[in-house]
Amino acid sequence: MSRPRHRMFSLGRIAAIAANAFTELTRLKTFYVLLVFALLLIGNSIFMAQLTFQEEFQVLKDIALGAMSIFTSLLAIVATARLIPQDTEDRTLYTILAKPVARFEYLLGKLAGVLLLLAISVIIMSALFFVVLKVREQTVLSETMRQMQASSPDQMAEALSAVRASAFDVNLFPGIAIIYVKACLLAALTLFISTFATSTIFTTVLMVFVYFIGHLQSTARAHWLQANGAGWITKLFLAFVALFFPDLQLFNLVDDIVAGNAIPHALFIKTATLGFFYTGFYLLLAWSVFYRKEL
Amino acid sequence: MTEPAVAVLGVTKVFPVPFRRRPVVAVRDLNLEVSAGQIYGLLGPNGSGKSTTLKILLGLVSPTQGRTEIFGRDSNLVDSREAVGFLPESPYFYKYLTGAETLRFYGRLCGLRGAKLRSRVEELLELVGLTGARDRRLGGYSKGMLQRIGLAQALVQEPKLVVLDEPTAGVDPAGAREIRDLILDLKRRGITILLSSHLLGQVQEICDRVGILANGVLVREGAVHDLLAIENQTDVVLENASPELLQEIEALAAKSGARLIEQGRSRTSLERLFLDATRPADEAKGRNHE
Amino acid sequence: MRIVVVILGLALFGAAKLPAEHALSRAHRQLHFRAVDFDLAMREQIGQLGFVAGLSGFRSLVADVLFVQAHVAWERTEWGRVLLLFRQVTTLQPRSLLFWDMAAWHMAWNASAAAIRDSTQPRLALRIKAQREYFQLGKDFLERGIKNNPDRPQLYEALARLYRDKYNDHEHAAEFFEKAAALPGAPRYEKRFAAYELSHCEGRESEAYERLHALYASSESERLPTLIHRLKDLETQLDIPLAQRIPDPVP
Repeated sequence: MSRPRHRMFSLGRIAAIAANAFTELTRLKTFYVLLVFALLLIGNSIFMAQLTFQEEFQVLKDIALGAMSIFTSLLAIVATARLIPQDTEDRTLYTILAKPVARFEYLLGKLAGVLLLLAISVIIMSALFFVVLKVREQTVLSETMRQMQASSPDQMAEALSAVRASAFDVNLFPGIAIIYVKACLLAALTLFISTFATSTIFTTVLMVFVYFIGHLQSTARAHWLQANGAGWITKLFLAFVALFFPDLQLFNLVDDIVAGNAIPHALFIKTATLGFFYTGFYLLLAWSVFYRKEL
Repeated sequence: MTEPAVAVLGVTKVFPVPFRRRPVVAVRDLNLEVSAGQIYGLLGPNGSGKSTTLKILLGLVSPTQGRTEIFGRDSNLVDSREAVGFLPESPYFYKYLTGAETLRFYGRLCGLRGAKLRSRVEELLELVGLTGARDRRLGGYSKGMLQRIGLAQALVQEPKLVVLDEPTAGVDPAGAREIRDLILDLKRRGITILLSSHLLGQVQEICDRVGILANGVLVREGAVHDLLAIENQTDVVLENASPELLQEIEALAAKSGARLIEQGRSRTSLERLFLDATRPADEAKGRNHE
Repeated sequence: MRIVVVILGLALFGAAKLPAEHALSRAHRQLHFRAVDFDLAMREQIGQLGFVAGLSGFRSLVADVLFVQAHVAWERTEWGRVLLLFRQVTTLQPRSLLFWDMAAWHMAWNASAAAIRDSTQPRLALRIKAQREYFQLGKDFLERGIKNNPDRPQLYEALARLYRDKYNDHEHAAEFFEKAAALPGAPRYEKRFAAYELSHCEGRESEAYERLHALYASSESERLPTLIHRLKDLETQLDIPLAQRIPDPVP
């Protein structure tokens, strides 16, 4: 077989590893349990018809988006944490890296597989969510029309548009996109930690801590930057948190979108870019540890 | 002179152990060479540094000192692995993939595509005798079958060197025999084999050269034939010899200063006996239904 | 050695990302995103579980749960609890107009009505005092709601209605209907209502007349019975010459 010159960076190899990681993860029981749970949650909110329509839509959106957020975050951590330890246990890590596959290609391929899984999960959940929202919206619309039969066409039109406005909001899309970006960040960070952590459990537990601290980071940062009369130990601790942890609150835009805020284009782009920078950086860190790791 | 398939040049590997004062020296100033087309056996007890040496060769571990080369290319370079196939110890692979899918995956990693990939996969499956199990998940494979698929994946890019870490560990005698036959077949095709094992009897049969490692140091090295020959003894095997002939030979030997040390029935090996006893059943069932 | 490199890398990246995060947070805050500070005071208010849930990004969900609890408290007429819960809800979700509106409604309309009819309180003066306190609480909610949502008309309108229906304060009612009308997305009746209220204010009848007349002239859809009725009243009150008067409505 004539041997072509070895290419340092081959999309084909990365794609093979990504496809493999994806297939492996779809066999993961945890994935299905989490997905079913999330879908149940979203689907269940169709039974929340006891409140007024505004309250109902708000609660429905909050539950669905909350489910999506927790599910993708959890899946990102759990799925990524097991990739490298599993390969080591099955010895497949050695067989893959004994081929002309660069370590960076291996990491990138694995991460790409997880990101693909996350994307598909988000799409499935969003689809269900929008279907549920649409169904409820239609029900409320016909209810409203029935109730307002006696009113003027003007008032009816205003009532109907009020219903429509509180149901579907085009800002939901960027909100969901940012949920996905946050999950990507968490996956990359998990990959980094798994390169030096000794087991899946340890990685997962550590990531859960990081998740919570990440949500506190903005508070820590604010306190650190204020020149309060806090002791230097406190300042050091706050500085440490601010420096080494990502601010995960930046990626929780859905709370305010559900309350009716609109996301300006620029803000969305900036937030997404920051997220992708984080993701890329954590991947780089993972490589710097994995590069010379003794296997 | 053609470059050797494998060159280990002054390799030392020290593993720092946290919380202990003295680090572990796995390999100490190792030098060895494997010429192309040979079967080389790296022997030694557990913990002697065999696996470490192989991993250094494959770039999975980096040496503290020295370097290793494959066909003249430094092991640290990714492309030195274009010409190598590796079968690690006790592999499990991806349990949910079938045999054919596993080989396709590794083929893609080596840059094979489309029709070429498909034909190569079929070729390899036939070579290792797993065509019948190609669509069964690896989770359902026996140990011997796993080793064979492992060998197939090592061969997927037609390497000139194949490295096997304990290829017959945990495999039953029939399976071990098949693997040995495969290895010999590879040698006939001109592929160099470097294997490590501590099943000495099996190694003795197929290796051309061996190196014996103990505590990270190469204590003995050379051609098997030479190493095992007891210098001043000769084996002679006779068929249909009468007792009178034997007495004559003994007298002859004494006359020229030699001494008849041992005579008796040649013995077959337990392995041969086992295989002969179990083969008819095997042949009837076929090799793939273990 | 590698560890040092990694930590250094993290620290450098951290230093680089801090200003970006800071700027982004500020941008969020300006757009009223995340105008919620998680601190100990909040933790006391919403309890440990709520605090943790809110921290993990489920602030709105926690608010919803509390809102449902407030609903239940209302059904049980536990006004103190309704007030407390709505304080928490509006603190958690200051950008949700619904919550401010409902809070004010429960206070100024429901609780006040219950107070004035409180059978356990024999003295009328005290009942009226309680009622007034609830009006004030409702007003507070709306004012704070407006502060958090200065760009949306709904709460201005709610406050205007509060002034009109509960305080009979037409001047303030007119003022807030007008403010609502000036914001994008305001329904068309805001302008009308502003003018109606103005027409009830002592000494501002001619100003109101101008406005109502302008509305009448502007389009057919503004010529609603109330508007016509009010205009007619003002015409009589202000002695508008017959030639300028609007035609009588067809019976």
